[in-house]
Amino acid sequence: MTGNRMFDLAVSPHIGSSQNTKRIMWDVVIALIPALVAAFWFFGPRALMLVAASVGAAVLTEWLCLKFMKRPVNFAFDGSAVVTGLLLAYNVPSGVPWWIPVLGSAFAIAVAKQAFGGLGHNIVNPALLGRAFLVASFPVLMTAGWIAPMEWKDGHRIDVQSCGVSTALLSESDELDALSGATPLNVLKQTFSWEGEPGRGEEVRAMLFSKQSLKNLFMGRVGGCIGETSAIMLLLGAIYLVLRGVLELRLPLSYLGSVALFGWLFGGSGWFNGNPLFHLLAGGVILGGFFMITDMVTTPVTKKGRIIFGIGAGLLTMVIRRWGGYPEGCSYSILLMNLGTPLIDRYTRPRAFGEVKKNG
Amino acid sequence: MSKVKSFAGGTHPPGNKEHSSGAAVVRLPAPEVVTVPLCQHLGAPSKPVVKPGDQVLKGSVIGEQNGFISLPTHSPVNGKVLRVENVPMPHMRSGPAVVIKTESEDGGEVYEPITDWEHADTSELVNRIREAGVCGMGGASFPTYVKLSPPEGVTIDTLIINGVECEPYLTADHRLMLERTQDLITGMNILASVLGVTDPVIGIEVNKPDAIKLLQEKGVKVVSLRVQYPQGAEKQLISAVTGRVVPAGGLPLNVGVVVQNVGTCVAVAEAVCSGMPSIRRITTVSGLGVNKPGNFDVCVGTPVSVLIEAAGGYQGEVKRLVSGGPMMGIAMFTDAAPVTKGTSGILALSPGEVRDVEEGPCIRCGKCVDVCPLNLVPCTIATASEFGKWEDAEKAGALNCMACGTCSYVCPAGRYLVQHIKRAQSEIRALAREREA
Repeated sequence: MTGNRMFDLAVSPHIGSSQNTKRIMWDVVIALIPALVAAFWFFGPRALMLVAASVGAAVLTEWLCLKFMKRPVNFAFDGSAVVTGLLLAYNVPSGVPWWIPVLGSAFAIAVAKQAFGGLGHNIVNPALLGRAFLVASFPVLMTAGWIAPMEWKDGHRIDVQSCGVSTALLSESDELDALSGATPLNVLKQTFSWEGEPGRGEEVRAMLFSKQSLKNLFMGRVGGCIGETSAIMLLLGAIYLVLRGVLELRLPLSYLGSVALFGWLFGGSGWFNGNPLFHLLAGGVILGGFFMITDMVTTPVTKKGRIIFGIGAGLLTMVIRRWGGYPEGCSYSILLMNLGTPLIDRYTRPRAFGEVKKNG
Repeated sequence: MSKVKSFAGGTHPPGNKEHSSGAAVVRLPAPEVVTVPLCQHLGAPSKPVVKPGDQVLKGSVIGEQNGFISLPTHSPVNGKVLRVENVPMPHMRSGPAVVIKTESEDGGEVYEPITDWEHADTSELVNRIREAGVCGMGGASFPTYVKLSPPEGVTIDTLIINGVECEPYLTADHRLMLERTQDLITGMNILASVLGVTDPVIGIEVNKPDAIKLLQEKGVKVVSLRVQYPQGAEKQLISAVTGRVVPAGGLPLNVGVVVQNVGTCVAVAEAVCSGMPSIRRITTVSGLGVNKPGNFDVCVGTPVSVLIEAAGGYQGEVKRLVSGGPMMGIAMFTDAAPVTKGTSGILALSPGEVRDVEEGPCIRCGKCVDVCPLNLVPCTIATASEFGKWEDAEKAGALNCMACGTCSYVCPAGRYLVQHIKRAQSEIRALAREREA
């Protein structure tokens, strides 16, 4: 008889899926690597240096905060700080000095994340708040630090034409001297200020929305933040996340759909003449739509809530692009929607199975 | 095959049924001493009618029914009562039981068989099912006769036989469908005739194609169901098969449905056609913590340790001993506890099989929301519970939770969601009782 052996007690269920927080975070890190390769290709070794500085600063800050608060420091290595560091770096121009991403990451971790209680408790996306902090503190560096994309050929870096817009046309404008390094969204924003010069804006926009321009945007052959330009590489990462069961598509699809819809609606000069594809591929929409709006902590948990969040962020992105003070609205739109998350969750709580609709 | 149906939500844990699904049911003799709990069914325990020293016959009543939601308890053996005492029960507490020294298993006392049940009175059949002590064999152990006595004015038009067995590891119902097919069909027909239902259906997950085929060949209407946990939960099964939604806090009879487990059908057939009271059941013994997983036909009151021996004994380190399936089963602290009418399986789980993680902070990924078959927001309820905000938990729908465990299973942070929600439920109920008092 084996009788009377004693066993541990625990509440059911006794088994669990293999998914865990650490695995999710490292999966996101892996999914962000293709974009890093693109950054290296188009912006050179400098991009890698900035990313490394940012990630290092994020992890170090996390470790220091935990140490200071006497909490288990192994949280610093759960991958979430690495994700924040990567995303922060992906959101700064490749021409900024090294201390910019370091400062941004430290702020993101210390103020946006740890000050609110660490993993799972932050209100807004840490990387985006870090970026907002940088834009507010160093507006010139953060909005003019663009480097023109280049490519490697026979061991040398060569220029590529970035916006699909002919330099001859743009050099007419004094403000656009350094246009080879400006972002397509910068150019688009400029065209909105040419309302008094009939024809000129249309011509430039036609170039921006041209096949060649869209192709450059898709590949990443344009000026922009370190990790945001190459749609194809970001999409590769997103596919990986979907296959790993990490990415739930309600948020990305509602966001991209909303950007496309409103981009078409008012993303050109008037109404119904914007190019949805341009607005999806330009700026940070692909990066934001698959890697930042999908930050689980700061977005709604309900299914309906995620769709509302995505549509709202898409609308805000396009409003900022068209009428706002910045050429790109992706990060601010997500930050603003983050603040609405608790409210969205409250009002989208699903009706329980078999729960009768209450009248009044 | 007809269209595969399902409920909405849920998850799909590894089945692990291959350990025991091929093992034919082995009938075990009664052990030297049986410990027959008087509270094997849901509701009031039976009142003991024997005392130490009494001789009892197999099938004789040792505990009589004590109220409406209650059942009588019968002796599984011929023998002598040693003690009437409290013993450890699978549900983590102790309960009254009659301890009997086995003398033989031959003969005994049965009720008068109702061979011509097609023409018997409904009340006679219901009474037989009651006096034979038949309760739901799927796990919840609700007295079957109560489900067969719908209140005035309620019409039942659908009888669903539950052959889903969605809990991983368990194969007892699967084997029963293959090996006790005729009894199952007879029991199903008896239940249908009692309820006045003309075409009962049986719901089976598609991971048991042999059972589906066999029953279809016998002319039974089978609904094939997607392999998705918790497909066998009563309300989910009803939704999958009929599309009807049982109101929250309501019962299947509110939508004209009665659900009975396949094992219950067999018990009903035995009680009616052979007059045999409910004293045995088929149970699975599995997990990597036993040498030879299998399915066993045992008498109630058999200690779990005897079943483990029958399955080749323990193997390696056993992290957890579970009565039932791994999703909703109850961890037992001792294998001295007896098998009851509701014991669908005994699992000896090795450390590699048990999820044993430190609870991390909620990362609000929403996976629990995506899978909850009852459309709850488990993470919110659990957080309210952790902070002792019972009213918030109640408002968030804590009382709707059936503790199926799907949320805890998928939670990447390893949160003990079910535990927190169950805690909230008991606190909310305690507060409600306080208010009433």
